[in-house]
Amino acid sequence: MKPHFLTGLLSLLMPAMVLAGEYDLTVDRVKIDTGDFVKEGIGYNGASPGPVMRFKEGENVRINVTNNLDEMTSIHWHGLILPFNQDGVPGISFPGIKPGETFTYEFPIQQAGTYWFHSHSGFQEPDGAYGAIVIEPEGREPFRYDREYVVQLTDKHPHSGDRIMRNLKMMPDYYNREQQTVGEFFSDASKNGLMNTIRDRMAWGDMRMMKADVEDLQGFTGLINGKGPEQNWTGLFEPGERIRLRFINSSAMTYFDIRIPGLDMTVVQADGNNVQPVNVDEFRIGVAETYDVIVHPKDEQAYTIFAESMGRSGYARATLAPEEGMEAAVPQLREAARLTMADMGGMPGMDHGSMAGMDHGNMDMDSSEDMSGMDHSSMEGTDQSNMGGMDHSNMEAMDHSGMSGMDHGSMTMGKEDKSDPFYAKGSGLMPKAANGGKFLSYADLKAQDPLYEDREPTREIELRLTGNMERYTWSINGVKYEDADPIRLKYGERVRFKFVNETMMTHPMHLHGMWSILDVGAGQWNPIKHTINVNPGTTVYMETEVDEPGQWAFHCHLSYHAAAGMFRKVIIEGGPDSTQAKTDVIAEDGGEA
Amino acid sequence: MNASKLFVAGMALSMSATAFAAGAHDGGHGHGATSGEPGKASEASRTITVEMYDNYYEPEEISVKPGETVRFVVENKGNLVHEFSVGTPDMHEAHQEEMMMMVEHGVIQGGKLNHDMMNMDMGNGHSMKHDDPNSVLLEPGQSKEVVWKFSDKGNIEFACNVPGHYQAGMYGEVNFE
Repeated sequence: MKPHFLTGLLSLLMPAMVLAGEYDLTVDRVKIDTGDFVKEGIGYNGASPGPVMRFKEGENVRINVTNNLDEMTSIHWHGLILPFNQDGVPGISFPGIKPGETFTYEFPIQQAGTYWFHSHSGFQEPDGAYGAIVIEPEGREPFRYDREYVVQLTDKHPHSGDRIMRNLKMMPDYYNREQQTVGEFFSDASKNGLMNTIRDRMAWGDMRMMKADVEDLQGFTGLINGKGPEQNWTGLFEPGERIRLRFINSSAMTYFDIRIPGLDMTVVQADGNNVQPVNVDEFRIGVAETYDVIVHPKDEQAYTIFAESMGRSGYARATLAPEEGMEAAVPQLREAARLTMADMGGMPGMDHGSMAGMDHGNMDMDSSEDMSGMDHSSMEGTDQSNMGGMDHSNMEAMDHSGMSGMDHGSMTMGKEDKSDPFYAKGSGLMPKAANGGKFLSYADLKAQDPLYEDREPTREIELRLTGNMERYTWSINGVKYEDADPIRLKYGERVRFKFVNETMMTHPMHLHGMWSILDVGAGQWNPIKHTINVNPGTTVYMETEVDEPGQWAFHCHLSYHAAAGMFRKVIIEGGPDSTQAKTDVIAEDGGEA
Repeated sequence: MNASKLFVAGMALSMSATAFAAGAHDGGHGHGATSGEPGKASEASRTITVEMYDNYYEPEEISVKPGETVRFVVENKGNLVHEFSVGTPDMHEAHQEEMMMMVEHGVIQGGKLNHDMMNMDMGNGHSMKHDDPNSVLLEPGQSKEVVWKFSDKGNIEFACNVPGHYQAGMYGEVNFE
């Protein structure tokens, strides 16, 4: 009788309660031990990374955040759709959280998937203030798995964020260990001729960039779930199980190329949104992105999750194993990537004179390696400078008669072309799977269940991603944040953003509060993301349905680029109610980024 | 004209090469001794309706008796092309290579099937018709039947071999009573 009564009472109360989850987070000074070094940092509930926050779609959450630091703090819920005053960006969403103060966030959970949270104050995020968010959907997941793990990556540096920024401002190549050496100059000179080598180096000097500028922050230890390579975070499984891995890149500056030798991965979600499944051998995860993959280990053995940094200056490593303590071989780092002239394709004012006759546009050949058997010296009349690792697109103008030794069969063309359209042709960053197999491209990402109807954008806004490496200034349209007017959007419009990357670095662009519909050429199946990676020398389009009122941050998610000025405030004009007026009360203090 | 001829010739070449490779696995899908054989509708003991969504089945598990003939009514209620195929995990894996080729050649395009392409003669008697009796390939909204006589017990699954779908979990177990 009694249980019945209770059930009845509960069901009566249920509608009123909906699902209201209450959560507590403290922001604390913590110790971070990477296995390589121990440092002071910032974490949540006494640890870095913070806890995995598990929400349920349809739930209303209340999150009490207590600041135990002696400085201002904030938490941004990266990728969550919520009222702008809950978005956690000091100076844009709210004033920030003072030392000793508890701020209560309250918002409805309107989505499902893998996300993360982090401080948006100063360099607290690179100092350790981040954690994961997992949201269970209201209905069933459109895939099957037996267990799941969050795999959260970061690039932990022994220096504090403040110190790194000071050093970069003073000497932009302070952390760049991969610089080309005098020795390399002479070996290039003997290979390519002295004049060509000088010309090549001068072209790079013009850009205030160095070929080795793939990563401007080296010397980090890659962590997975807070563990360094030697500490080896391990996820257990029973052979035959399917495992969902929720990869989150919470790095300050580092892109990772991820593979699990011996296992195929099926990508089922990107940035929290389900995509049509893609089988891959390897994928690159930009800063702030998330990818969910399903793996199916059948054998009683350990597998290494290997995450090499894009510039190959470091790596993170973890293990999937049937038992604690089992491990598999850890691969060697591949050779460091070098930027090529193709990566500066977007640079205005560059002297293209030495590249006459080159067409960067439309050769479908795979670059470099396949043609390594060629004897370049026999090809008279072509300028061989700058050819290393480059697109060989100037071959149209070449005399092919001297090329009899070439194996045309190895030049993959058309459908089997492995070059990724989201990189400049011949880019030194062009990803390649370590096992020669499939490397995920943005072009493979198609929405599983499109959120928005496809429609014509109402207008286009061009955002040139700009910077001066020598002064370590980063900007949009040549103007840094503190000197820039906000971007004004109208509620209800659909804006097409055109990103033109005029720098030689990748920029993961993150618009807060509204989805970024990435144009992969799939029309209504274009995927929605929260972070859009724009590679050097490329133009990428995204569209946004302006469906949230208020004001939002829009920035490069590389911590030191955002802080240097590659950042904008976006103001939404109009809206369903008078939210506009309320934005005025937000103090402009508390720091940004 | 020239270019398109070349294209077709190139495709036929790659097609037959891959068909060979798939054939080497277990003599092609649909003829495996362990999964059963095409059944006669008149001998079907019952009808099981299987609904296909993006990307999972309902139900995800069925029970049959050894030797039982079942009439499956398969309905695609999703927005993407899906397959219903009865076989062992090895057969599914071999078949996935063929399905990958169908995607690469534009036969399967998200929510559409290119029927002209499916009927095209690829040379050596090969085509991409997808007409094996153990499976159906359906566009959104379509419904078709598979009549299957299960043999003895074995590791049998029904599965969608559109690239990525099986790996993501679009399969169901066949349990023997």
